Amino acid sequence: MSDTEARAPVLSTYQDTATFEYAKVRNTEQIRNHLGPHVGKTLDEEVVAKIKQYYSLDELVEFLKQKSGDELRFKKVTLQFPDSLICDSATIVHELQRHLGHTFSSAQKFDAVEPAELKSVGCCSNGNNCSAPDVKGCCNSSSQETASQAIWILADTSYSACCVDEVAAEHVHSDLVVHFGDACLNPIEKLPVAYVFGKPYLDEDKVIEEFRKTYQDRKEDRILLMSDACNVFHARRIWDTLKGEFINLAFADVYLNPATSKDVEIIGYSPMTHESSEHSSVVALNRQLIGIKDVEALNQYDLFHISLPQAPRLLQLTTKFQSVTIYNVDEEKIHTGSHPNLMRRYRYVHMARSAGTIGLLVNTLSLANTKTLMNSIAKKIRDAGKKHYLFVVGKPNVAKLANFENVDLWCILGCDHQGIIVDQNNEYFKPIVTPYELLLALSDDLTWTGQWVTDFNEVLKDLGEGSQDQKEEEGTGTPDDNEAAGEDSDDDAPQFDPVTGKYVSTSRPLRKLQHLQITAEEEGDDDKEEEESEKSLIKKFSSTVAIKDTVSTSAMYLQTRTWTGLGSDYKDNEQDEEGAILEDGRGGIARGYDFDIENKN
Amino acid sequence: MVAFTIEQIRELMDKVTNVRNMSVIAHVDHGKSTLTDSLVQKAGIISAAKAGDARFMDTRKDEQERGITIKSTAISLYASMPEEDVKTIAQKTEGNSFLINLIDSPGHVDFSSEVTAALRVTDGALVVVDCVEGVCVQTETVLRQALGERIKPVVIINKVDRALLELQVSKEDLYQSFARTVESVNVIIATYVDPSIGDVQVYPERGTVAFGSGLHGWAFTVRQFATRYSKKFGVDKQKMMERLWGDSYFNPKTKKWTNKDKDADGKTLERAFNMFVLDPIFRLFAAIMNFKKAEIPTLLEKLEINLKADELELEGKALLKLVMRKFLPAADALMEMIVLHLPSPVTAQAYRAETLYEGPADDASCIAIKNCDPKADLMLYVSKMVPTSDKGRFYAFGRVFAGTVRSGQKVRIQGPNYVPGKKDDLFLKAIQRTVLMMGRNVEQIDDCPAGNIVGLVGVDQFLLKSGTITTNEASHNMKVMKFSVSPVVQVAVEVKNANDLPKLVEGLKRLSKSDPCVLTLMNEAGEHIVAGTGELHLEICLADLQNDHAGVPLKISPPVVSYRETVEGESSMVALSKSPNKHNRIYVKAQPIDEEVSLAIESGKINPRDDFKARARIMADEFGWDVADARKIWCFGPDGNGPNLVVDQTKAVQYLSEIKDSVVAAYQWATKEGPVLGENVRSLRVNILDVTLHADAIHRGGGQIIPTMRRVTYAAMLLAQPAIQEPVFLVEIQCPENAIGGIYSVLNKKRGQVVSEEQRPGTPLFTVKAYLPVNESFGFTAELRKATGGQAFPQLIFDHWAVLGGDVTDPNSKPGAIVKEKRERQGLKPEVPGYEEYYDKL
Repeated sequence: MSDTEARAPVLSTYQDTATFEYAKVRNTEQIRNHLGPHVGKTLDEEVVAKIKQYYSLDELVEFLKQKSGDELRFKKVTLQFPDSLICDSATIVHELQRHLGHTFSSAQKFDAVEPAELKSVGCCSNGNNCSAPDVKGCCNSSSQETASQAIWILADTSYSACCVDEVAAEHVHSDLVVHFGDACLNPIEKLPVAYVFGKPYLDEDKVIEEFRKTYQDRKEDRILLMSDACNVFHARRIWDTLKGEFINLAFADVYLNPATSKDVEIIGYSPMTHESSEHSSVVALNRQLIGIKDVEALNQYDLFHISLPQAPRLLQLTTKFQSVTIYNVDEEKIHTGSHPNLMRRYRYVHMARSAGTIGLLVNTLSLANTKTLMNSIAKKIRDAGKKHYLFVVGKPNVAKLANFENVDLWCILGCDHQGIIVDQNNEYFKPIVTPYELLLALSDDLTWTGQWVTDFNEVLKDLGEGSQDQKEEEGTGTPDDNEAAGEDSDDDAPQFDPVTGKYVSTSRPLRKLQHLQITAEEEGDDDKEEEESEKSLIKKFSSTVAIKDTVSTSAMYLQTRTWTGLGSDYKDNEQDEEGAILEDGRGGIARGYDFDIENKN
Repeated sequence: MVAFTIEQIRELMDKVTNVRNMSVIAHVDHGKSTLTDSLVQKAGIISAAKAGDARFMDTRKDEQERGITIKSTAISLYASMPEEDVKTIAQKTEGNSFLINLIDSPGHVDFSSEVTAALRVTDGALVVVDCVEGVCVQTETVLRQALGERIKPVVIINKVDRALLELQVSKEDLYQSFARTVESVNVIIATYVDPSIGDVQVYPERGTVAFGSGLHGWAFTVRQFATRYSKKFGVDKQKMMERLWGDSYFNPKTKKWTNKDKDADGKTLERAFNMFVLDPIFRLFAAIMNFKKAEIPTLLEKLEINLKADELELEGKALLKLVMRKFLPAADALMEMIVLHLPSPVTAQAYRAETLYEGPADDASCIAIKNCDPKADLMLYVSKMVPTSDKGRFYAFGRVFAGTVRSGQKVRIQGPNYVPGKKDDLFLKAIQRTVLMMGRNVEQIDDCPAGNIVGLVGVDQFLLKSGTITTNEASHNMKVMKFSVSPVVQVAVEVKNANDLPKLVEGLKRLSKSDPCVLTLMNEAGEHIVAGTGELHLEICLADLQNDHAGVPLKISPPVVSYRETVEGESSMVALSKSPNKHNRIYVKAQPIDEEVSLAIESGKINPRDDFKARARIMADEFGWDVADARKIWCFGPDGNGPNLVVDQTKAVQYLSEIKDSVVAAYQWATKEGPVLGENVRSLRVNILDVTLHADAIHRGGGQIIPTMRRVTYAAMLLAQPAIQEPVFLVEIQCPENAIGGIYSVLNKKRGQVVSEEQRPGTPLFTVKAYLPVNESFGFTAELRKATGGQAFPQLIFDHWAVLGGDVTDPNSKPGAIVKEKRERQGLKPEVPGYEEYYDKL
């Protein structure tokens, strides 16, 4: 009996914590490539000096020392870092506090990675929302008097790192965000901002050499020199060198719109002003294009871009210019990879036309007009008879989006530098489009111009025109007319999907709503039934699921799943297997079972 | 003068036993449309003089110009038969008037899909075979298709005049040629033994084979001659028919029938068929063509042919045509065959019901189809769309299998994706009008009962190409048609003017409606693709698109081929991928599926919708699968019905059934866009060996599983000798002997493989059959003409997928070069990714 002991079957592969363990960060050494070659890995005097210089900390200190009246202008300052620069954050705070003259004990060790060790208890007990995931570290001067400045580090930015993370900053009621690293310079809603681009290392001679090589025999061609925000001061110097040689060389300087960004400052670089430059200039792509007179003429220009832009920005640039040449800063040569393909977007636009459920993916909270755009797009989707769901996902990736299997298509609202997902390798389960593309898709006649608009304002302008037309239309027809027309018209006719070449009947799940309500009333003759249906949350109109008077495509999707909960997987097998035969078990009570009593005797 | 009225036809529709639905099928240029003319002429729709040249059923301008049929066209004809003939009909009939719904179909292989659509709505087929060319590739294809749909064939051997006038064959040679043709038709039929439909082989002695000339408008069956002679000899007609075919001889001296070709004295006897059937015809031909004016009147008198005075003035071919048409009118012979030997809808639907209906055989709709019941709930199958004069609108052309369809009736329109109980692809609409298709015209009718062919107005917006219309909520769909051809040749189309883009999209929609087979889609690079079965098909489609459907100038790319991705071996090791959160692992191996299984899935023999146990039985019995494996097939892919399978081979994995939906979704995705080319995958089987899942449901959701399953499928494929398959045409070329050298040299240059080379007995013609990769077929026809001095005309039909030998990862190999070019065009990295990209180490 003992050797054949019954054991529960192993139901799955054995797992313990060792199987699935996160990597732990231990090393204190950091590779700081952005500071240039030959920089030590440990944080010594030399590196600190380099960091100070890189981030123009002296200028920043001056800026922070500003006073309005008697008080300091900025009392709560948040420093926002992209992931690549987070390694310097501790040093910067340290330096800033030293220079701002706060009594911060230098003996205090502090480590940005493990905020728990921070000594700055003060701010955490201030009632500020320190537990917000975005705010990883905060530090405060030990004295909490009104005169002092609190400095916070914002890391792990949920949305695109190029944008100012207003929401995280507002968690601590910040009155200034200092944004480090590359920036998109898109206008944001309200907070004052200081941009510190940093001064990355760049071998300018090498760039000039490559530039000359690229445009060897084309000295009179129209060329525009552009760079990301970090490298703009290099680019300006290169432009100064080359503009004599190349007659039609234009330069894209960073540009802050005085109308929308009053409280915005750039630290460590001052862009050319209109007055100071002797050249004519236009504003486009968040840049001041010096040497170009007309925005329309952009497509006659070749673009030479220093540093490799992120995919959405690159896509936008390729649609604007005749050709794009990219100087890869890390490899120190001309980039040879493929550019994102605009025609793929055309395919997505068609997929959007036949999609029934659209996920509105909000990938920014700080960009101006986000809310307005979100609402007007949602309305537009509803009007087109499609269902939409709103998602706010920080750092969206393949796995996160694939969790929502019933969404047919994503529309992403995000910054045009980094916040838009351009799915080049077909990694994402469902296609992702921009608001502009979605608008194209929802219009009656799909046109494709080869433009790619990402600016919220322009999209809103398009929307505005569209909705005005609609209002006029609505004005002419009374609602009764519409209903009568709805009965016999071919509203519910399937849509032809040119991507698959098939008819799609699910492209407008909301179209049938009105129709459904009519039938539901007809069916519910009994008063009792009506009462019941009012109370019940989910109504069922002949196999269409509605929640709160609107069709729920996700509920419909759930009904199609084969897995419907525990036990549903055994349904099929039940007929095959025979049940166990029942036998008489033990009887009696624990003090003495029948069996024991019988044996005793 | 039209010999009948619509009212007469409508009346006959109710007598379903007297309806014959039939299609005319054959190889290209064997004379379908010409023969059909004689039937149309008999009905009085066109004049006798025009019959043979009018090609009434070729309704399109380009059809008339090119002299080929492109679209199948339907017409309803009224016929009345003599009483005594009606008596011999084996099935139930009522009175002696008959309604014949005839569909003329195209013969060119590129338009085979039109034939399929025609066959679906008919019960009988008139197979036309050229007397000289014999059974050709398309004859075989359409015949096989007809038999697959359980359609009864009768045969007419056409162009006998050519044999007589051009080849000057002897009577015995002609008989031998007839016999051979009949035999080769029967060989094909013999491969389809189907007990439910019975013996469908054709026999001249039973009257199911006719001989004639469509161009001259004459034809005969053995039965007709038997009728003449039975009176003369005083023999039973049935017996006479048997004597007039085969090894049966008449000894004029002894007046005895024998089955030996020598008489008692050893003198050769003449075959009865030659003596009684062919002899009068040969004599007429000889007399008229040799201008023996004196003989003609006696002959005519003997054969009881009366000519008017002015007709007697004619000479040569014109006279021959006239005389033969009076002597043996083609329409009579054809009508006789059609009415006597083809089944009525009542007869046919009894055995066709189960092959037509997707649902269970004992459900109300299936029983109604079986009984061809006009009072039951409506069951109607729309097989194709016919353009109306109103641009962009179509008649839905189909057949009522049960119930009665009438104007204004509220019906359920069920698209091909409809599943009973679901709302997808289901529309509740009213039929606006019902019409009768009469060649290029339509006639309004109020309703149409079961067993008839009908056109519907007001249905076209809801169905793309085909679908089921019913009034019963519980009805399943009618089975979707399977085409013998496949749209493997593609072109990309682009508008010249960007503003025309919406018109192009609308045009593509109309194009896909108007043709049963053409595919319009968009590739990864955002180009609009039109895919057809061959160069001719594409040419016609593109001309339609440019001139009618879109009406805008287009830029058209050179043709390209669509490829498939596959694997050639089993994965060299177990492929493993971890989910993005590293908490779930999937272990799989990939292996190829046998070609037979893939074909069975593609032809619908192994159907994802079937009960899994029944399916497993078929796979185990016929394809040697392990029953346990076959029962654990999780899904087909892509689109839920392709020839790729996921098999669950795990043992006791907890939560496994929870991830099934995600795995299925991922597999559809992975097989739609393979790792090598981004093309559809074919013949891939993925065995899930083990799965490790996180204990919390939130960590094993779709987001974790879908990308992982896709990655692991790719890894397994790349570990299992990935390869690409290219489509291969079967080429059939008929040519004289001296052209064969040219054919071989062109085939060699084009990677062609000769399968067979035969001389057609009794003719100087050779038939060469070869396999030719579709990729090499562009411009093949022109090159072949050049090499053979215009003597060889090839027929190309899609035959199979063949693995393109070579390493796909090596850009210097043939497949590697194709892969590289294609990847670059789609904006992917030019190199095929290594398995490491999708494989995770433990």
